[in-house]
Amino acid sequence: MILAVGLNHYLVLSALIFSMGILCMMTKRNAIGILIGVELVLNAANVNLVAFSRYQTGAVDGQIVAIFVILLAAAEAAVAIAIFMNFYNTVRTIDVDRGDELHG
Amino acid sequence: MNHTYEICLAAGVVIPLISFAILAIWGSAIGKPRASYVALAAIGVGLLLATYVMVGWLGMTDAARHDLSAAAYRYHWADLGNIPITVGVKLDSLTVIMYFMVTFVAFWIHFFSIGYMEGHSDEVDGQSKYHRFFAYLSLFCFSMLGLVVSSSLLFLFFFWELVGLCSYLLIGFYFDKKFASDAGMKAFIVNRVGDFGFVVGLALSVLFLRTFDLDQAAATFAGQFHAHSGVFAASLNLFGWHVSGMTLATLMGMCLFCGAIGKSAQFPLHVWLPDAMAGPTPVSALIHAATMVAAGVYLVARVFRLLTPDAQMFVAVIGCITLTLTALIAIVQTDIKKVLAYSTLSQLGYMVFGMGAGAWIAALFHLMTHAFFKSMLFLCSGQVIEGCHHEQDIRKMGGLRKKMPVTCWTFFVGVLAISGFGIAGTHIGLGGFFSKDEILAVAYERTFNWPPSHEADSHEESLAVSDEPRASARAALRSSIAPDIAPADPLGTSPFRLVGTEQGESARGEGDRAGSLNARGSASSGHATGTPTKLSIASTLRAMPRWMFWLPILIAYVTPFYMMRCWWLTFAGRPRDQHVHDHAHEMWKMYVPLIVLSAGTLFCSYWVFRPLIADAAAAATDSSLIVAVDGEAHTVAEAGGGTMLTVTHAPEASSPHHALIAIAGFAWIIGMGLAWLIYRNGLRLAESLRRGVLPIRLAHKALQEKLYFDHVYDNVIVMGTRAVAVVVYAFDKIVIDGLVNLTAIFGRFVGSFTGRQLDMPIRKGDFGLVDALANGIAGVMLDAGSQIRRPQNGRIRTYVMITAGTAAVVLLAVLFSDQIGSGLEAIRRSLVVAGG
Repeated sequence: MILAVGLNHYLVLSALIFSMGILCMMTKRNAIGILIGVELVLNAANVNLVAFSRYQTGAVDGQIVAIFVILLAAAEAAVAIAIFMNFYNTVRTIDVDRGDELHG
Repeated sequence: MNHTYEICLAAGVVIPLISFAILAIWGSAIGKPRASYVALAAIGVGLLLATYVMVGWLGMTDAARHDLSAAAYRYHWADLGNIPITVGVKLDSLTVIMYFMVTFVAFWIHFFSIGYMEGHSDEVDGQSKYHRFFAYLSLFCFSMLGLVVSSSLLFLFFFWELVGLCSYLLIGFYFDKKFASDAGMKAFIVNRVGDFGFVVGLALSVLFLRTFDLDQAAATFAGQFHAHSGVFAASLNLFGWHVSGMTLATLMGMCLFCGAIGKSAQFPLHVWLPDAMAGPTPVSALIHAATMVAAGVYLVARVFRLLTPDAQMFVAVIGCITLTLTALIAIVQTDIKKVLAYSTLSQLGYMVFGMGAGAWIAALFHLMTHAFFKSMLFLCSGQVIEGCHHEQDIRKMGGLRKKMPVTCWTFFVGVLAISGFGIAGTHIGLGGFFSKDEILAVAYERTFNWPPSHEADSHEESLAVSDEPRASARAALRSSIAPDIAPADPLGTSPFRLVGTEQGESARGEGDRAGSLNARGSASSGHATGTPTKLSIASTLRAMPRWMFWLPILIAYVTPFYMMRCWWLTFAGRPRDQHVHDHAHEMWKMYVPLIVLSAGTLFCSYWVFRPLIADAAAAATDSSLIVAVDGEAHTVAEAGGGTMLTVTHAPEASSPHHALIAIAGFAWIIGMGLAWLIYRNGLRLAESLRRGVLPIRLAHKALQEKLYFDHVYDNVIVMGTRAVAVVVYAFDKIVIDGLVNLTAIFGRFVGSFTGRQLDMPIRKGDFGLVDALANGIAGVMLDAGSQIRRPQNGRIRTYVMITAGTAAVVLLAVLFSDQIGSGLEAIRRSLVVAGG
């Protein structure tokens, strides 16, 4: 049977990817792993935005915003790498559990 | 009323006090010779005032004197409850003559001191002693004169204490020498022992007689005696209470006499006077010969009306014992001042004995003459000591007659006076001849011719009487005597009424009649005689025991013996210590007083002193219980005066004076001669007697140790007091201090315990409530804080998780808000139903 792909399918896909991204942020000890999670979350948001824009006639707002988001994701990834570089310089590891000096 | 004499006497009392104040404050600034002039001027003014008063008093009649005395001003000083305490100058003949004697002797002793203290006040430690001496002398004069004029027993006591204080200050004048300061303390403390009795007597007098004034006390006393002997006795009456067989009245008299025992150094309390010789010689002369020690006898004279027969006998016994013991001790003394000290004690014993026997006039007369010659003897001894370079031991003297002639012969005058030199049967003699003889005459009367009225009765019956008037007169006499054997009527014996009023006149007239009858009837026995009332009182008194007569007679032989011994060893014979002899010299400043006093001894005593004393005797001895006896032999017409018994002049040999001539009239020759025999060649004969004869050696040893009085007092009283002190000290240290420490320990323990348990723990077992609470609260806070801090563990993963979870919960809540709302509503409704 051929499944008719509608909006919901894209939204569910976005939600799944989003939660996978959150899960990845929650569980990864590696700093780069957290960044991967962040990318997943952002890309899920992108999918969400583009899906809404595809199933709305005449508007391309969602696609424009998706391009902004990609841009911002790249900038943010660069900044995050810079932070992690500093982190590595002080702690000599990228295990983020080691960075708990600001505990209570 | 004219109060001039009182003002003069009072001024004479106060001026030495001002002198004392001046010398005490500015003495050291005034400087060495001038300080003495201040004191001399003060006492000189006193002497002038005394002379003025005496001359005026001598010129007054009896009635005028009585009026002036009765109208004397009394200052109301204070109230003791509702008993008023008044004070004033007691203006009577005794005061006048005593005042004169004190100022006269004091003046010449001040004069002597100027010379004496020149060499004796060293400027030691920059502290000149010179002005201090004269300051104390002035204070003493103030106190003694105050004592003499005081009309109130309380004020007499104040001055009494002051005199004791001055004695202490002056005896301990050389206070840097231990024996001098010890002697001062001994004098004051022994005096205080006597004063304890005095205070008890004062308390009794104020409690029962309700007054301190001497005249009022005597009147109340007589009133109580009569009230008690009647049917209705007052409850607060001295005669209604008995203590161990004596009435309280007797006890009061004895207690008041205790003061005199202390002050006049009588038998148990005589130990301070010989030690008091540690003071400078003028002090010994003034205080311990003439004035302070006479204050005791003066007190007995003043309170004579408050004595009962038993108290009077007590006085006589004490006096008799004193005069005997101290005369015996005087025989063996080798220090010239100690000889004179014991001689003073013995003569004081005579005075007190005289008072006890009833020889009021004679005892006071002896006091006056003694003051003169004893102070003169002391000043002579001071001259000798000064001249012999501070040597006081007579064994080292001898042959000083050529070197110190004035001293030698004035001393000899004193020796004669004390020995009773006189030609028996005439009026030629020196002081002791009259006064001691009179005391012995009264003693003779009291021992052998007592009681007088019974003797008169029996003697009268033994006479052959033929004429009518005599028989009727005798009947009248018997009838007048008989009702008076019963307690006398108050009117006749009231002191205020007897002298100088018509009652007194009639009594005297009666007495004259009775007396003259008595004299005629008993003229051959020379008995004491007087008014019927007095004879009846006398008949209630006991006769004196024989030994109380013979002991004074014996001592009348001993006195010349030891005085002559002293004089001979000092002045006559060969010098025993050449160095002392070479140094001997006299000073004019010191022998002028000697001459004056010896003149006084020679001339003034009989004709000046005795009449004034006799004048005062009438009022002062008017008692309802005891009688005073005038020992001077009067003619029949003079006999039977007022308030005393009188020894009558008897032509035959059984008069007391004649008897005495036989017994003791030549005692002076025998005593002095015996002394000359034994000590003629110095001490060798006496020494060999002492070594050879055992009884003499033992007696000598005992007498030299002053009959062991000091040893006994030291070991019993002083050591006893120290033992008590040790016990009390131990009690104080162990028990009392222990209790105090225990309290402290207890307090500390309680504090520490509560502190540890309630506040702050120190040891393992302590609880520490407050600390535990505070720490607990803090701990709870800390735990809460740590628990609350736990979510913030610094890990990013955790933060992310929490953020995501929270977002999910919120999303769900928003999505299903309707269902949540309705579900909550249902729960609320079910709770309300269940609750309501």
